[in-house]
Amino acid sequence: MTGPQRLANGGLIDRTKTIRFSFDGNPLQGFGGDTLASALMANGVRLVGRSFKYHRPRGIFSAGPEEPNALVELRSGARREPNTKATTVELFDGLEAASQNRWPSLAFDVHAINQLAGPMLVAGFYYKTFMWPAAFWEKIYEPAIRRAAGLGRLSGEADPDTYEKAYAFCDLLVIGAGPAGLAAALTAGRAGARVILAEDDFVLGGRLNSETHEIDGAPGVIWAKRVEEEFKTLPNVRIMRRTSVFGTYDGEYGAVERVADHVPVPPAFTPRQRLWKIVARETILATGAVERGIVFGGNDKPGVMLASAMRTYVNRFAAAPGRLIAVFTASDDGWRTAFDLGKAGVAVACVVDIRTKVAPEVVALAGDIKIFLGGRVTNARGGRALKSIAVMDATGNRSAIAVDALAVSGGFNPDIALSTHLGSKPAWSEPKAAFLAAQLPDGMAVAGAAAGHWTLAEALHDGTVLGADAAARAGRRPQGMLRYRTSDEHYAVNAFWHVAESRRKAFVDLQNDVTDKDVALAAREGFRSVEHLKRYTTLGMATDQGKTSNVNGLAIMAELTGRTMVQTGVTRARPPHVPVAIGAFAGLHTGRHFKPTRLTSGHGWAAAQGAAFVDAGPWLRAQWFARPDETDWLQSVTREVTTVRSAVGFCDVSTLGKIALLGPDVGVLLDRIYINTFSTLAVGRVRYGVMLREDGFVMDDGTTARLAPDHWVMSTTTVNAGKVMQHLEFCHQVLWPELDVQMVSVTEQWAQYAVAGPRSRELLQRLFGDAADLSNGAFPYLACAEFRLGQIPARLFRISFSGELAYEIAVPAGYGGALARRLADTGREFGATPYGTEALSVMRIEKGHVAGNELNGQTVAGDLGLGRMMSTKKDFVGRLMAARPALVDPQRPSLVGLKPVQPGDRLRAGAHFMARGVSPAPETDQGYMTSTAFSPTLGHWIGLGLLAGGAQRIGEIIRAYDPVRSGDIEVEVVSPVFVDPEGVRVRA
Amino acid sequence: VFVRDLIHESAFAGLRAASAGDGVVAVERVGLAIATVIQRRGQSRELTAAVTANFALDLPVGAEWTANNGVAWLGTGPGKWLAIGEARETEFVGKLETKLGEFASVVEQSDGLGVLRLTGPALSRTLEKGVQVDLAPAAFPTGSVAVTSVAHIGVTLWKVDDQPTVDVAVARSLCNSFLHWLEASAAPYGLTALGG
Repeated sequence: MTGPQRLANGGLIDRTKTIRFSFDGNPLQGFGGDTLASALMANGVRLVGRSFKYHRPRGIFSAGPEEPNALVELRSGARREPNTKATTVELFDGLEAASQNRWPSLAFDVHAINQLAGPMLVAGFYYKTFMWPAAFWEKIYEPAIRRAAGLGRLSGEADPDTYEKAYAFCDLLVIGAGPAGLAAALTAGRAGARVILAEDDFVLGGRLNSETHEIDGAPGVIWAKRVEEEFKTLPNVRIMRRTSVFGTYDGEYGAVERVADHVPVPPAFTPRQRLWKIVARETILATGAVERGIVFGGNDKPGVMLASAMRTYVNRFAAAPGRLIAVFTASDDGWRTAFDLGKAGVAVACVVDIRTKVAPEVVALAGDIKIFLGGRVTNARGGRALKSIAVMDATGNRSAIAVDALAVSGGFNPDIALSTHLGSKPAWSEPKAAFLAAQLPDGMAVAGAAAGHWTLAEALHDGTVLGADAAARAGRRPQGMLRYRTSDEHYAVNAFWHVAESRRKAFVDLQNDVTDKDVALAAREGFRSVEHLKRYTTLGMATDQGKTSNVNGLAIMAELTGRTMVQTGVTRARPPHVPVAIGAFAGLHTGRHFKPTRLTSGHGWAAAQGAAFVDAGPWLRAQWFARPDETDWLQSVTREVTTVRSAVGFCDVSTLGKIALLGPDVGVLLDRIYINTFSTLAVGRVRYGVMLREDGFVMDDGTTARLAPDHWVMSTTTVNAGKVMQHLEFCHQVLWPELDVQMVSVTEQWAQYAVAGPRSRELLQRLFGDAADLSNGAFPYLACAEFRLGQIPARLFRISFSGELAYEIAVPAGYGGALARRLADTGREFGATPYGTEALSVMRIEKGHVAGNELNGQTVAGDLGLGRMMSTKKDFVGRLMAARPALVDPQRPSLVGLKPVQPGDRLRAGAHFMARGVSPAPETDQGYMTSTAFSPTLGHWIGLGLLAGGAQRIGEIIRAYDPVRSGDIEVEVVSPVFVDPEGVRVRA
Repeated sequence: VFVRDLIHESAFAGLRAASAGDGVVAVERVGLAIATVIQRRGQSRELTAAVTANFALDLPVGAEWTANNGVAWLGTGPGKWLAIGEARETEFVGKLETKLGEFASVVEQSDGLGVLRLTGPALSRTLEKGVQVDLAPAAFPTGSVAVTSVAHIGVTLWKVDDQPTVDVAVARSLCNSFLHWLEASAAPYGLTALGG
């Protein structure tokens, strides 16, 4: 025995396996096979939580994922998780569970005073009350409401567990392993189809575990076990337990597998949860049906429970929901509960059926229990647990009956949300008194109770037929159709929603504390559409998504507005069908692994040199190389710049995009891509080019080298490499497929280093020896060549971003790290330093070269001082649009250099320009500072900026206004080329 | 000449065992010669004939691969192949150009891609955590090629045999990120790394 309410016999629990757990700090015990809810019930715990709005005492209402009430916090520390349904938690040794939304304790909750304010806290209360003054919302109202409302608490710490994703493919996905799902998977599996059977629960069998039905003369549970055994012999059938299919997408299903939710800490290398994408040719929805309650006064008291859930607790878990139980039903199902309770030895006080006519064999289930046909339960009383019910019989006489639990059955709602995720709406069926799936997504079929086929015989038949059909369509031949013999079953229901005679608070939606009066208020105020009703009252929201409440709410609205259920309609379910942790969607992609990181082949060497790294698109690039005696990044960068300008430095530029272009028509293609002409470029030469988007704005810049008559290599900026490749492919494949051009990215193939500075030639000549002549005559500015250095092919380009004599050398990437090491070793003699992107940036600003800050998608070639590059002798992408009047307006902001009037002033990128003496305002804004750097060469800060009418304003003093960083200084407009404006050095 | 004796580092130099066991066995295929071969405009038939004449095989038309005399040809797109020679040789691209240059452009990629050979009893369970392509024997028989992605990393993978053994080619700069995925995904079953 574990607990006073544990039945002495029966159940599918493992009584040899005792499990220790705690609830609100109290040590308790359960058995293997228990859920947290069943173990709490067996221990006699009735009060499990407090409700969302009114903080009313709540107990366990259901036995599955439809649970609206029994939400708890699990675990502690960083693993604490709120709002978990106790009915779905598989009990494990050491489980710590706690009630939530109560203070100071579950039994005494001061916020329960909200109940007294109940008349005020109706639907729309917050909208109406806290509207004015608007400024109060963020500071006062919202924080106060958030403190009072809400349910559990997050841990506030990083999740210590891991998550992963997986992808599966099958002929047939069967969702739900109840009788219909098992029959479908078995039939299709035997035929040889690839089947995935996904089951929410940790055991297969579905309702068979909760009922006493027989199949082929054996208990349903035994039949399910036999099927499970047979699955083990079928390698084409994959069983996924603890897996919730939560969404239907185009030909795909989302599912979450709770891999290690049922253990205290996931074992090594095991994820907590796994997110599946299942691609299925066909799907059988065998999700069953969820019982719905009846709306009557006090229907939320701990002890009021769904009738079918009571059978689950008694038959599967051997836990008695109460000591003396009444049944309130609108269907035959309630009678079955009375029967099963009686058989298990739990006393039943009475059965109250709203119907006056009930089939004799159903009435017989109650035996000699007192029955009220045509009766109603008008009220349930009790504080923290149910104490009595008020029953009104068919003649209107009322009596009070002492009970501590009440089973309620208002009929069943097929669980068909997954059929509506692609947009269709369910249709009301009067004979079934339920919404049924109407237009199904392609390849989906519905079986068993999910199709409104309530009996076991129908479920097995549906599963068998649909499973065989799916297998046949997958090209498999089913081996004869199985027929099952099942124990008899009778099912009838009258649609019944609401006890009009109730006077007390009657709940439609237990999770959101929505009452019948809230629905009435919504109707009065005009929120009559089901979508409005939902949003105005919050009916059907949150973790249970109204699985037990929606239909009652809609039915009450239908009644109030004099419409039928068909006219009233139903809201459309959206994924996810059950809550899914965000961590599961992230999978492995957290922290540094949020996205893949691209590393150059010289990364390891740079890291060993103590480089700081910066994200550049997907790459990590060395930002600067601090020496041990350097304490400030600016110190390191200044040294690197000074070294390059006075001796030599080298910088990893492997991240720049490199695109090989081959074929006889490359010149023609490039002429159309770039604004300047390339077809005339001689073999062995490099040219700088600018390309535009179709709308005339600059897309990217870079150099293209011609290595051979029909072999070119284009370089792009690091960040735009993918975009440029895409652009080239688009232009070739769509615009000019007639051009004989072949292209492929070679960014990954080549490690490339810029070697810059007055001594760069000496350094490279030392490395190459007599394999190449690098003299200015033999290898002038903008030359390029391919060499073979022993077995190693190499490419050399004489190009310069720094403004110094400079080269870029490329070797196959496998040699990248070794090349960096060699440049450092051999370079020592020449005073060489590695330099990072900061020094690179300082030098390009000193030289007035534009980069990402200026190529920002808002600038045209003219803005950047590149207008004269635009050829007038040819057509190119963006030419026409770039000629629009606004884009050639001389008053457009254009590139200028800036220097501080007070030499000590620091310039800040982002500062806005305006004339001196004007008040800062959008109207007086004349542009902004795009890039700034401390220039070691000039000894003061310099900047590049886009200034209205820029080029004509050289020499003018303007104001650089930076309110964000309290900057407000005067700057002089100068040429953007600060260093070597004549370009002598690059040609040295 | 100082550059002549640089030491080469393979793309998957970071490959190491992630956990005990050999559910997945990974070995880097080092020393491969790899080239992208792209058919020139209107030269489809001529290229196919030239490949047949020079390499004694039928150039795959779709997402398939075939091999002969130590060179595998993988169809990676319309009119596009990866040619993979088992022995790294400086003249691999040059030789292909000599034989096929009239009908195709040939681009050196030997250092641009890292290639892992993966096998082991848990390979399918590992690959399904990243590959969004159906790799079941019926859907992806030996000889199949897929150009796809794993954990947001572009990969080319091909079925080598029915063990199954799968080769995966990954852009060099992303090999470390790929290994992070592989280690995390294979660790429950054991990941053994064999020297190439």
